[in-house]
Amino acid sequence: MRYIKLPSENFEKFFKSLEAWGTVYAPVRKGSIYSFQEVHDPSEMALDYNRTMLPPKKFFFRPKEAILRLKNGRWEDEVEAEPMVLFGLHSCDIHGLKILDRVYLDEPADPYYKSRREKTLIIGISCMPDEYCFCKSLGTHFAMDGFDLFLHELPDGWLVRIGSVRGHEMAWENGELFEEVTDEDLANFKEFEERRANAFQKELPQEGLADMLDLAYNSPVWKKYAEICLACGNCNMVCPTCRCYEVCDRWMDAYKAVRERRYDSCFMENHGLVAGGHNFRPTRLDRFRHRYYCKSYFDPSAGYNCVGCGRCDEFCPAKIEHVKVLEEVRGSLK
Amino acid sequence: MSENPYQTYDARILEVKDLTSREKLFTLRFLDPEVGEKFEFRPGQFVIVDIRGFGEFPISICSSPTRKGYLQLCIRKAGRMTKFIHKMKEGDIIGIRGPYGNGFPMEEMEGSNLILVAGGLGMAPLRSVLWYAIDTGKYEHIWLLYGTKAYEDILFRDEIIHLLKHGEAMNCSVKLAYEVESPSCIYLERGFSDRVCRGVVTDLFRGEEFDVEKTYALICGPPVMYKFVIRELLDRKLSPGRIYMTLERRMRCGIGKCGHCIVGTSTSIKYVCKDGPVFTYWDALSTRGLI
Ligand SMILES: Cc1cc2nc3c(=O)[nH]c(=O)nc-3n(C[C@H](O)[C@H](O)[C@H](O)COP(=O)(O)OP(=O)(O)OC[C@H]3O[C@@H](n4cnc5c(N)ncnc54)[C@H](O)[C@@H]3O)c2cc1C
Ligand code: SF4
Ligand code: SF4
Ligand code: FES
Repeated sequence: MRYIKLPSENFEKFFKSLEAWGTVYAPVRKGSIYSFQEVHDPSEMALDYNRTMLPPKKFFFRPKEAILRLKNGRWEDEVEAEPMVLFGLHSCDIHGLKILDRVYLDEPADPYYKSRREKTLIIGISCMPDEYCFCKSLGTHFAMDGFDLFLHELPDGWLVRIGSVRGHEMAWENGELFEEVTDEDLANFKEFEERRANAFQKELPQEGLADMLDLAYNSPVWKKYAEICLACGNCNMVCPTCRCYEVCDRWMDAYKAVRERRYDSCFMENHGLVAGGHNFRPTRLDRFRHRYYCKSYFDPSAGYNCVGCGRCDEFCPAKIEHVKVLEEVRGSLK
Repeated sequence: MSENPYQTYDARILEVKDLTSREKLFTLRFLDPEVGEKFEFRPGQFVIVDIRGFGEFPISICSSPTRKGYLQLCIRKAGRMTKFIHKMKEGDIIGIRGPYGNGFPMEEMEGSNLILVAGGLGMAPLRSVLWYAIDTGKYEHIWLLYGTKAYEDILFRDEIIHLLKHGEAMNCSVKLAYEVESPSCIYLERGFSDRVCRGVVTDLFRGEEFDVEKTYALICGPPVMYKFVIRELLDRKLSPGRIYMTLERRMRCGIGKCGHCIVGTSTSIKYVCKDGPVFTYWDALSTRGLI
């Protein structure tokens, strides 16, 4: 890793330089929520945001998109993506993208996702947890890779970690804006990280978690929560690692059709429905439990399918808390 | 070929044949000979059929890779899209992508006995195995235990009756169970009293013994069938690793992206489309919800 310092007074210039790399998207405040939007000036950004409603997955795996277009009886595709800079991603969201990468870049790669991913620069930013965050328990509170630059806030600027060759190029082209990191900066960086580590209010204990949950398959706790759950699917939409999609063909006119895909939710009754009306997850209990198992799946080489961002809690209309459900299920094992 | 895995390849319907009142057999050939040449598959794999502008659905390949130059799909009229394809005729063009899934480990099983257990439409993927095993002659003996509702529902009826009569010459014994009585069934039962009976597929195991060291079982049928068939096999001391089954789930992408076919829990998750659709009973023991 290479470390440099971006002093506060150079921030605006640095930000302006990003436009040369592509359209810049960053967190913006909209009413009471945050969202990633196109920005042209640093003043439009809300860099002290807690979390956006939709995670950055929306840039790569779109809520709704045409994957093929039928013209003269043949499917055509438009894979070419526009260059983008995503500015101000939190560490958990960078980890979320890495989890999506494992699905969408695995052979055969999804060409739409891949092309957008290759054309996008990721700039991370340090954050302070709020009452919903539990990324520290999952080891996703710090990103070691998956970004081009990562900005850590200092009292008088930013400590920048360079995470890729393109990150080096961005810093190189604006060499005059950066300084060497001083001992004082390092001390500030260390102090910030310690303060942050101590600020987490929520914790998901890991010991034997995956096995305990599996053993608690018939726990009444699943049932209790499945009855409270509205099956609205909000938690799927906002989750940075949920990526189920449904496909549907639609006619534009007598000669043109599109094959569209859109976000799907495993809370929907037809998620596991096959022909003849057989449903592999017929009850809400089956579907509720399925989501928790899918998120808590532990891959020995990559960890869980949850990054602890807290979105599912914040945007659940039934106020169901992810960590609480898992802890109660585990606790119900006698 | 296209880099886009969602693109499908034109295939012409060479023949449409009624198998029953609900199932038709479609014989297809790729329009581009190069695509046809490159399209290699194993018994147990499936394709995604694309009716442009209407949608896609997964279907097992029911012909054998030993019979080259064409591809056969046995499709049941089950809903919107399958109803649509049932209206299509010889010469019509559809799209195909695949083959997908792992298929049966045919090489690993060479030299052994195969017990194919089919229930209803489960005959379709197992027909690929059946003809592959007969054509290659690399297997000791093949049993086909086939359970069907009624005489009229027997898929590939001509082939099944032919094998009932002449199968032994091809190292293949066929046994048939039907649920609804009819004159045709009674006639069959009279002719082959040791091999045709009224009952369910598990009844066909009665009196059968097999060399568990040299036998594999391959199962395909409706979801309720698996547990009962597996019990019969385990009772006869067949190792779970020698029990293969092919499963169905809702599928959209066929390539591990759309998430519909995921089964399992926090300790083991499987994608039926890419980790399967063929699984062993060990997989079923370690992945909840598989069967
Ligand atoms: C690996 C595999 C192999 C199969 N092999 C065969 C075969 O050899 N012969 C055969 O007749 N059928 C087979 N099926 C089942 C076949 O895919 C369904 O019958 C078909 O998708 C029904 O589509 P429909 O639009 O006519 O039905 P509808 O009931 O109208 O379907 C409603 C919706 O659900 C979807 N849907 C229903 N069932 C399935 C399914 N199983 N997988 C994905 N989507 C589904 C449809 O695409 C449709 O959008 C197989 C399924 C799988 C997963
Ligand atoms: S499950 Fe909840 S906390 Fe975990 S990544 Fe998804 S939205 Fe975030
Ligand atoms: S957001 Fe809450 S209420 Fe809605 S489906 Fe998820 S858990 Fe259920
Ligand atoms: S069918 Fe899409 S993931 Fe298996």
